[in-house]
Amino acid sequence: MSLPVSPRKVARAAGIAVAVSLAACLVAPLVVTAAGAFVDADWYGKRSEGALGTGAAGLFRYVLGIWSNALLTSLRLVGTVVPLALLIGAPAAFAFRRRPFPGSAFVEALAMTPLAIPGIALAVGLLLGAGRAPRFGLLVAGHLAYTLPLVLKTISNALERERADLERAARSLGAGPWQAAAWVTLPRLVPGLVLSALLVFAVSWGEFNVSFLLATPLVQTFPAGLYTTYTTNSFPVAAAATLIFLAPIVPAFLAIQALGGEEFRRGLSS
Amino acid sequence: MCVVWPLARLAAGTFSSPRAFLEVLAAGRYRTSLVNSLALSAGAALVSVALALVPAWVFARERFPGRDLVRTAVSLPLTFSGVLVGFLAIVMLGRIGAVPKLAGLVTGRELFAGSAFTLSGLFLAYLYFEIPRAVMTLEAAFRHFPLELEAAARSLGAGPFARLFHVTLPYAAPALLSTLAVTFSASMGSFGVALVLSRRFTVAPLEIYTELTAFLNDAVAGALCVVLAALTFCVDRLLTRRAA
Repeated sequence: MSLPVSPRKVARAAGIAVAVSLAACLVAPLVVTAAGAFVDADWYGKRSEGALGTGAAGLFRYVLGIWSNALLTSLRLVGTVVPLALLIGAPAAFAFRRRPFPGSAFVEALAMTPLAIPGIALAVGLLLGAGRAPRFGLLVAGHLAYTLPLVLKTISNALERERADLERAARSLGAGPWQAAAWVTLPRLVPGLVLSALLVFAVSWGEFNVSFLLATPLVQTFPAGLYTTYTTNSFPVAAAATLIFLAPIVPAFLAIQALGGEEFRRGLSS
Repeated sequence: MCVVWPLARLAAGTFSSPRAFLEVLAAGRYRTSLVNSLALSAGAALVSVALALVPAWVFARERFPGRDLVRTAVSLPLTFSGVLVGFLAIVMLGRIGAVPKLAGLVTGRELFAGSAFTLSGLFLAYLYFEIPRAVMTLEAAFRHFPLELEAAARSLGAGPFARLFHVTLPYAAPALLSTLAVTFSASMGSFGVALVLSRRFTVAPLEIYTELTAFLNDAVAGALCVVLAALTFCVDRLLTRRAA
């Protein structure tokens, strides 16, 4: 006599049920947060912030208004860090893989250390070693330290998948070393470069440790501002600020997943 | 440069003031924060890996309608920075959080109110950001899991327990260990979550921040950083070496 349903099918259904309920648990706080921003209910403490307009539009206008400086700092920082990380990281990865020099393995290992040490340690070292360096420059340095390993890894992976003999073939046909790199290797690295840019963007936009420790009242990034919002503002304001934080990073993350980026498995440092 | 200078400054600071170093290891307050960090991180790593096993296997092996959506929902918290996770914990388990409100509607008593600010609340928040990491890391490993081996063992007459202990576990062990390493390291460095949630107890990154900003005690903050980094590095090495 056979069972009406096979144990294999039961196990499969149970596994899917577990996965779905885990997803529900993880998403539930976000749903409540979105409700806080969009549902115009009498949330606790809302009345205390008199500047609030009515409805979600008024709320978001208010939040964007109080955090416009921090948002601009974050955008400026991301706009500086993404090109710099690519301009430094991509040639460096190319050098490490294709034109190794004495000591290049050591330099590479050194550049990768931020992945292995707690984020706060690097931030404190940066702060202690800062002296009177301009804060924005320090922020850029800290973010570069965090994001360069991601670029190095992504481009290195792309280079390893790529066949080095294409470049050699170009050389044998008379192309100089730089010509071969620029016309043969570089175009084939474009997907890797796009992935790197997205990774750097996501990590730099969401980075908190360095930004928070180095923040001054004038130079403050949006994630550092989030902390202030969470500790001082009412629930709808905090919820709206959270959604503004997530608005650029979630699409970037989805694109990273679609492009098969494994480097974001560690996510943002918490 | 960006990496070397801060690290060198940390190391130099520590060796130029060995007193601070001893203080960190000896004084109850600092040692407690390090022990708390170790215990929380180890607990969060173990529990998150255990909870991630089934979803990771399902995502790696099964195709079902809505799979991509569920998978995205599970991995989405990877984009949340620590303070955001802390905020979400308060949203759910704060003094007027969603869970107590819901419990109040159902049972008439507001259960779990304010539990976000207790040790168990902090632990749940750690789990919240560790589970997505664990699921994604394990899923990548499970995708290459040789199912044929298990089938072969079965055809040779091995029972379910023999298969689990002699075939499946030995094959999965490296993936489990490296996932433990990833989650443990992430918890050890976690700062934002505790910054928002911690009330009575402390964890090492928070202690570093307090020393730095409230007491202006650079030497102790630096020494704590070095000890925290060393502990994280050692455990990470131990686990990844066993995995290899």
